[in-house]
Amino acid sequence: MALAVSDPCSGFQSPRLRSLFILCFKIGILSFGGGLTGWLYQGFVLKNRWIEEDDFASSLAISQMLPGANVVNLVICMGEQLRGPVGALSCVLGFLVGPFFAVIALCQVFDALADFALLPAISDGVAFAAMGLLVVMCMRGVRRALRFPPSVAIIALTAVLVGLLQLPLIPVVVLIAPISVALAWRRA
Amino acid sequence: MRLDTLIALALVFIPFSLTSIGGGSAIVAGIQHETVVVHGWVNSREFLDLFAVSRAAPGPGMMLATVIGWRVAGWLGALIATFALFVPSSLLCYAVFKLTNAHRRKRWHRAMREGLAPVGVGLIIAGIIALFRLSNGGVVAVVIISLAAAIFYMFPRFPVLGVLTLGGLGAAMLSFAG
Repeated sequence: MALAVSDPCSGFQSPRLRSLFILCFKIGILSFGGGLTGWLYQGFVLKNRWIEEDDFASSLAISQMLPGANVVNLVICMGEQLRGPVGALSCVLGFLVGPFFAVIALCQVFDALADFALLPAISDGVAFAAMGLLVVMCMRGVRRALRFPPSVAIIALTAVLVGLLQLPLIPVVVLIAPISVALAWRRA
Repeated sequence: MRLDTLIALALVFIPFSLTSIGGGSAIVAGIQHETVVVHGWVNSREFLDLFAVSRAAPGPGMMLATVIGWRVAGWLGALIATFALFVPSSLLCYAVFKLTNAHRRKRWHRAMREGLAPVGVGLIIAGIIALFRLSNGGVVAVVIISLAAAIFYMFPRFPVLGVLTLGGLGAAMLSFAG
């Protein structure tokens, strides 16, 4: 029985620490702009099916509420869910080691790059494409929320207050999250 | 002297780690004040350049601390600033997630997860709005965002880097043509 370690009760198989490190390293070093969350979503949920959609979304909500870079908090939650403390450590180290060297390298070549007129346009375009991935995440989130209409109202309210009216994120989340949880509690 | 600088770097970034609620954008103003005004490690121009570099580089925007540490005290400075900014918040996140996730079978935890999920989706929409507002892309932004979203929606396994490359090239061509 030379099978890899797996949980026979679920279709999910715990990824190896090395796989977690490599996935996070790839996302860390290759991701530009604001689309890192979308990229993690693709890696953990869509492509490898290590994490369920709802678990990802609630982990994201926790990651965004707590201090720290959202994506770093998110890979900690992913790693902990999949492989415990060492999993979380593998994810964080994998995620940060690439950008650590990349940002210093970019700093060193910054002066040379600054003369290249097309650079701002290219970097904007990369950021826009990354935002497209976030849009898809939102579309799927809204579609999931359609099962329970009050969730759609919560999504809209949060987006309007924080995004359009630019109210401070923390008070808004502190106010809306308990209401949303209470609604989910009554439904359960 | 050098040790003093390293300790000062740690003391500047550790409190920011625990106040960066909502991510790195929340603490840029604070870091600017501490590093430019209070400690005089970099001038305003250098700070702006470092900020631009940290946004253009891969990884979270909070890597701004890494380049400031590097400018101030070399590789050791970069390492200490990075650890100071990421370790406290990471430990907090781990603890909170672990404590609540141990109860994931309970009804209150399920309600918490199902209740937080739509808040998370709403925050991403808010993030898209904020990013869109920061960029002055207009029609170009809308076109590229829509095309990228269409590709990711129809082909979930499409390589992300391919779409990002297309976005960068497309924007460069549009700015060249316009």
